[in-house]
Amino acid sequence: MWSYRKRVTRDLERWREAGWVSADGAKSILSDVAKGGGGLGLPAVLAVLAAALIGFALMSFVAANWQAIPRIVRFGMLVGVIWSAYAAAAALMSRDLKAFGDAAVVVGSAAFGAAIMLVSQMYHIDGNPPDGVLLWAGGALLAGCLFRSNPALGFAMILVSFWGAMESGQRFEVFWLYLAGWAVVTAAIVWQRWAGGLHLAAFALTAFVVSLGYLLETGLRHSIVTLIGLGTAAAAVTIGRTLPEWRGLAGLVLPYALVTAFAGLCAMQFIENPRLDAFIMLAALALVLTLTAIWLGLSSADRGLLWLGYLGFSFEALAVYSKTVGTLLGSSVFFLTSGILLAVLAYLAYRLHARQADLPEALS
Amino acid sequence: MTSTSTSTKSGLSKRTLLLAALIAAGVQTAALAHMVYGRVTLLKTGREIIAEVIPVDPRDLFRGDYVILGYSFTAQPDLDLPLGSKTGDVVYATLHRQEGNKWLTTGVATTYPAQTAADDIVLKGRVAYAYPSPKPGILQGRLRFGIESYFVPEGTGLDLEKQVREHKIEAVLAVGPDGEAGIKALIVDGQRAAEDPLL
Repeated sequence: MWSYRKRVTRDLERWREAGWVSADGAKSILSDVAKGGGGLGLPAVLAVLAAALIGFALMSFVAANWQAIPRIVRFGMLVGVIWSAYAAAAALMSRDLKAFGDAAVVVGSAAFGAAIMLVSQMYHIDGNPPDGVLLWAGGALLAGCLFRSNPALGFAMILVSFWGAMESGQRFEVFWLYLAGWAVVTAAIVWQRWAGGLHLAAFALTAFVVSLGYLLETGLRHSIVTLIGLGTAAAAVTIGRTLPEWRGLAGLVLPYALVTAFAGLCAMQFIENPRLDAFIMLAALALVLTLTAIWLGLSSADRGLLWLGYLGFSFEALAVYSKTVGTLLGSSVFFLTSGILLAVLAYLAYRLHARQADLPEALS
Repeated sequence: MTSTSTSTKSGLSKRTLLLAALIAAGVQTAALAHMVYGRVTLLKTGREIIAEVIPVDPRDLFRGDYVILGYSFTAQPDLDLPLGSKTGDVVYATLHRQEGNKWLTTGVATTYPAQTAADDIVLKGRVAYAYPSPKPGILQGRLRFGIESYFVPEGTGLDLEKQVREHKIEAVLAVGPDGEAGIKALIVDGQRAAEDPLL
């Protein structure tokens, strides 16, 4: 945040001198940046962390099953916390203390969860724990929508994913109904236009798709995951290039699609134990995938994608090395081939780049 | 959504925020009250049965501050399940009383049985796990009924666990018309020991 302000101040000076920005414009931009312009400030982060800690305190309060206070009084106390938290949220938000208001909404949602646990404990209910988590997610979603509170929506996404994981863990099979819960929370995040929440949603969906490879009962399990990832990545690249109004969304989806494809390929190489020729083909495909990520990152100046590519590339190289370490000759041939391949690709990329850019710039 | 005079940074007017607080707290309180009401009704009006509690594998007995209660009908091996049952599916078990307070499952169905003997009781449960029987065309497995955990005050779990092993423990269960069951109290050596107030 502060480094951003410093950089903008420096750049604005330059832009003002160049005559691109008026003096008044520069002043308004700086005052907006100083105000925090909707970004996350330290107070906001601290407030939400405090809310999370208070939430944990409430849950331990329930777990202790402390007999000094009758259960109904404890229940009343938690309901009291729910009401006070939402009242505080309304008061704080109407005084323009949005971050603290968000924290209060999170405390209210956590208290709701603690109260669900207390009721289960009071009546020794051991029915189907995921049902309680789903109810809790619904409460957080409701509060997040009513207060337009992003942290509460993020909390709802975490809870709904926890619900899906619990159901699928109980049954050892794909829990398709999770997609409905995911879609509802994601719709709320889209309605709120919360970019960070979209990343959370994309992450949750990636985890779900990757889990398909382990939970589906059909034969080609991880290859389905790989194909979903590759297909989505191809669609994201095509849409990003042809439909400018969807470029933002395509850019958001692309890294997650690539991670999905890579996770599928890794499972096919290292978990499914393929024959050597299949393994070599899969390893080559995985390397091409990481190189594509690096290339896409470079060509669209997307640092996240670039680092993802580097990370995937290093992981793949290390994993192949440790798998083929028994046959040093085999790994040596693999690394030599990939080295030569990379060198050729680097040369091609350089030629392409030189042709596209102005000659003097390419040389400098 | 935003009123002209009182709009705030969050984009919501003071009135909307107040309404948001009322709805959020109100709906969540209503959901909790519904849970409590359902349980109180079940425990008050449900048919009362007494079931023998048997010690379960000591490894699993004590987890945190609750005790795992085993019953003759949950420990029953090789129960025939409806074909196609999967872990987590809701099923209805018909229990028949044996000598004492020992109940055993005589049948498992996917729907609530239309007719049962007057002494029998139907419990709604879930398939804990299912496996194919050595005999072809038969699926077997175990059920759980949501009455296997008994929460106790912090630090007293081991004590109750010892009692379950050393004494004759029975559970007083309330069974609702839909087969839902709840634990009303525990009986230690014929004495009602742990009986919680309804609220």
